[in-house]
Amino acid sequence: MSHILSLITFIPLLGMLVILCLPRHQKDWIRFVSVFSTALPLALSISLFLDFENGSKGMQFVENCDWIRIPDYKLRIQYKLGVDGVSMPLVLLTGILSFLAVFASWETTKGVKAYFALLLLLETGMMGVFCSLDFFLFYVFWEVMLLPMYFLIGIWGGPRKEYAAIKFFLYTLFGSVLLLLAMLAFYFHAKENPNVLDPMDAFDLVRLADANVRLTFTGLFWQVVFVAMFIGFAIKVPVFPFHTWLPDAHVEAPTAISVILAGVLLKMGVYGLLRLSLPILPEAAAWFAPFMAALGLINIVYGALVAMAQTDLKKMVAYSSVSHMGFCLVGMAANTEAAMMGAAFQMFTHGLTSAMLFLLVGVIYDRAHHRVIKDFGGLAFQMPVYTGITTLAFMASLGLPGLCNFVSEALVLLGSFDAYRTTTIISATGIIFGAGYFLWCFQRVFMGPAKERYSMMPDVNGRELFTLVPLGALVVFLGVWPRAMLDTMTVSLKNVQDAVASATRGG
Amino acid sequence: MSLLDAYPLQHYLLVSAALFALGIFTLVARKNAVAMLMGVELILNSANLNFVAFSRYTVGNFSGHLFAIFVILLAAAEAAVALGIVIGIFQNYGDVDADALDGLKG
Amino acid sequence: MSPTALALVQDLRLFLPEVILVLTTLLVIVLDVTPVRKSHRALLYLTFCGLLLSGIYLLRHYVDLRESGGRASSSNVLLFGNSIALDPFAVYFKGLFLLVGLLTGVLSIRYKKLNPAGEGEYCVLLLCSTLGLFLMVGSRTLLMAYLGLELVSIPSFVLAGFQRDSRLSNEAALKYTIYGAIASGIMLYGMSLLFGLAGSLDFAAIRHALEGQTELRASPLLLSVSMLMILAGFGYKIACVPFHMWCPDVYEGAPTPITAFLSVGPKAAGFGVILRFFYQSLSTHSGGGDWTPIVDQLQWPIVLSVLSVATMTVGNLAAVAQTSLKRLMAYSSIAHAGYLLMGVVVLSKDGIFAILFYLAVYVFMNFGAFLFVVFLHDLVGSEDIEGCRGLGWRAPFPCIAMAICLFSLTGLPPLGGFIGKFYLFLGVIGRELYWLAILGVLNSVVSLVYYARVVKAMFLENIPRGEAEPLPVPFFYSAAFAVLVAPILLLGVYWAPLVKLARYSSSIFGA
Repeated sequence: MSHILSLITFIPLLGMLVILCLPRHQKDWIRFVSVFSTALPLALSISLFLDFENGSKGMQFVENCDWIRIPDYKLRIQYKLGVDGVSMPLVLLTGILSFLAVFASWETTKGVKAYFALLLLLETGMMGVFCSLDFFLFYVFWEVMLLPMYFLIGIWGGPRKEYAAIKFFLYTLFGSVLLLLAMLAFYFHAKENPNVLDPMDAFDLVRLADANVRLTFTGLFWQVVFVAMFIGFAIKVPVFPFHTWLPDAHVEAPTAISVILAGVLLKMGVYGLLRLSLPILPEAAAWFAPFMAALGLINIVYGALVAMAQTDLKKMVAYSSVSHMGFCLVGMAANTEAAMMGAAFQMFTHGLTSAMLFLLVGVIYDRAHHRVIKDFGGLAFQMPVYTGITTLAFMASLGLPGLCNFVSEALVLLGSFDAYRTTTIISATGIIFGAGYFLWCFQRVFMGPAKERYSMMPDVNGRELFTLVPLGALVVFLGVWPRAMLDTMTVSLKNVQDAVASATRGG
Repeated sequence: MSLLDAYPLQHYLLVSAALFALGIFTLVARKNAVAMLMGVELILNSANLNFVAFSRYTVGNFSGHLFAIFVILLAAAEAAVALGIVIGIFQNYGDVDADALDGLKG
Repeated sequence: MSPTALALVQDLRLFLPEVILVLTTLLVIVLDVTPVRKSHRALLYLTFCGLLLSGIYLLRHYVDLRESGGRASSSNVLLFGNSIALDPFAVYFKGLFLLVGLLTGVLSIRYKKLNPAGEGEYCVLLLCSTLGLFLMVGSRTLLMAYLGLELVSIPSFVLAGFQRDSRLSNEAALKYTIYGAIASGIMLYGMSLLFGLAGSLDFAAIRHALEGQTELRASPLLLSVSMLMILAGFGYKIACVPFHMWCPDVYEGAPTPITAFLSVGPKAAGFGVILRFFYQSLSTHSGGGDWTPIVDQLQWPIVLSVLSVATMTVGNLAAVAQTSLKRLMAYSSIAHAGYLLMGVVVLSKDGIFAILFYLAVYVFMNFGAFLFVVFLHDLVGSEDIEGCRGLGWRAPFPCIAMAICLFSLTGLPPLGGFIGKFYLFLGVIGRELYWLAILGVLNSVVSLVYYARVVKAMFLENIPRGEAEPLPVPFFYSAAFAVLVAPILLLGVYWAPLVKLARYSSSIFGA
């Protein structure tokens, strides 16, 4: 049994402990330890990605031992880690973005020690969510993320940081207690039907998704459970009408934290649906699919329209996230091979582009100390390199062919056309709106006459380039060679899709 | 099933209920700390009467009597402590009216 | 010796932990009045020794009980004419109470308002109160429950008013006394009615009497009234709605270590008595670790579940507006009484177990929070949330410890409080009380609002520009915080041993 997933998950935690032991004025050492303890998981997740067997059906790199086992109580919680095609890309994405986030936070001056310690704790939580195959363990990691995020937004954030932090905290906590109740529902189902599912396995996500087991989750009760879980995940995605925490959190959070929020945390909602809701409760998922499609549609169109109305650059990017995450929902609702693939790939591509966008917003905010779109203008002359990279990020986000978002969004639209024709057509307008606000924004920020007050603004520096270039390269690479990632996901997504499809036929 | 004797149990219960009601009334109506403690004494004694009466009429052993003796004992202890505290209050506030105690709010 | 006397001596041997507490009390009284020069806090340390010695004998009882057959029925020992039970359930609670007593002592070491002159009395009262807690959880009869309850109450009235020159402390003591006297009076009246209806004071005999009556001789109304009256007394101890009014005032006015004691000790003992009384007298064991109410007309679980929801809601909503840390903790402890009541209403072994488990974690969380109040008072001179502003940057370790306690009280993983709540909700959902579970988790979410206010004040407000001027934290506090927080963290990631212990201790009452 290899322990690579444990290492990926807990090296940041170790790094955090090391940082806590360092004296607080040793800022360089603190930064060095952070780099090291995010670089190592990144290296390991790359090797994981290379070793990953694309054709294999089950979980890979599984680690399994009993965490808590009380025979008399019939309750077992496992320490079970493993990855499949759904989680593999996200582990990689988390590794990349956490590593880059350390560099994006290099200039933090206030409370350096606390900042990096929390950032590393956050990475442990995120990795744990993507790796865990036990519901309880999943839940623990899911909540472990909340605390560092609360402090990172609340201490290092913008003017309304306290409001944004507590709002984020309360929304997500509300969602997660619903998850907790759903988790208990599985346990009691197992207790009542021990011949179908041993109560000792009631939290095992692989066992729950087993064909014999999931067939017993039928009826109104499980539809209610599905809705509870859906709300729990929807808050993270965020799905309209649970999205209102997102603009606040994004706008107030420091750059690196916005990157993590948009790049990884939003993906957790969709990942939760793909890992738990759809494969374990396929019948309820099939029943809920039309609603999910409708919510996705609202997300896409509403997000795009609101983004268009924003005056704050960061808020615009935040709402564009709402819009883009809608594609994931539509794709999952349609449940065809292409649509599923698109939804899962969208998580990865949006993770890359939104991270880039937030980094870029951070770059300009560091220089101009404001983000009001209409006050910029003519930056193309002062910051040519910056303009170039922004062009790439904007084009990727609005879905230009040849860049990665085009692939994922096109797959979603292609795949869902048969299932939800009207929805798909309206969703496609979201892309047009997207092109609208991105191009309009580009025009107002970079075009036009150069403004005197920005004449002294330096172009992107080496550190910023270091964070932006890898993301840009991946955006282009996956745009022209998406199979590098798609092949990883195919088999696992097919499993999910089959589960839901058979439930649809059966019911 | 009724339990009628020469002096039926109900008589005792009625007296005790009346005592209890009087005690509660004292607590509600009076704001003086000492008077409230007297109300509490009425309640305790109503319970004692019940215990002894039940013990004599229906149960047939002395467990109720025993209970009553303990209650008397503890009531004395409680009264001593309570009066000690009341004296402390009087020294600090110059009054033992419950409405005068308004330092703690929220 | 006559057989009765012999049995009494036999029983005394099994009563050693309590006997040691009594002896320590006497020793402290004697030493206090003898004009020997005593070093600072010497009597307090003597109290520690007494508590620890009592703990050693308690441990021996635990081992004996385990060896005498593991099964609950054989390990139930009844002392003094069936009035006190020595079973794993009682031993578990007594262990908690010793811990509570010790921690209260630890909090008092540096509590400035405790002057050396009153130290002896303070220790005596604390020991008496602890003895009362012991008797409460062991009680098998109404009489013993009453005596135990009063033995806890009367010393704590004095403790609450221990600062005789402080108006607030006096006021707290008077309120506590009057509410306490009223509650125990009403409880007594209820007990007398129940005695008349069932003809016995013994919990088990009451059940037999009520079970035996096919046609309920007593009117169900009278039975309900007496039950509600008895609940007033117990509810006062656990501070559940509507018997909670004393709680915020007393918590604020009492000396902080005593507040911590009141928020855990009597509350835990109250739950011990409630479990014994309601499970042994008013329910029938229906096999498989489940109980049903003894009389169909007396659906006390419904009453208690309504009270539970009301308690947690009132506690949480009122806490949101508080500015004083002690008042905030008072409302938080009211809310926790509500959560714990959920474990009573499920009428199952899982419910008892969840309560036992949660109480153990609760001791550490609450004492951690109150230690912070003592710390704040000692170093900053404030007991308000206002006083914590920006403190996280000047004294990181105590503030992080406080934050851990508060998040654990909220019920966030990976902390012990989450595991406790997890088992409580497990019990509730196991009984298909979905509405109760949903209201319970929603309340947990609400509780985050006010716990986070404290955390916000500590870390998010008043952030210094550049280097903060560090506050010198005495070693005592760092050590004490470490001791209190370590179990919270440990129980959050590895809690199997405590589950086994609590599980074993909940196998009482023939289940």
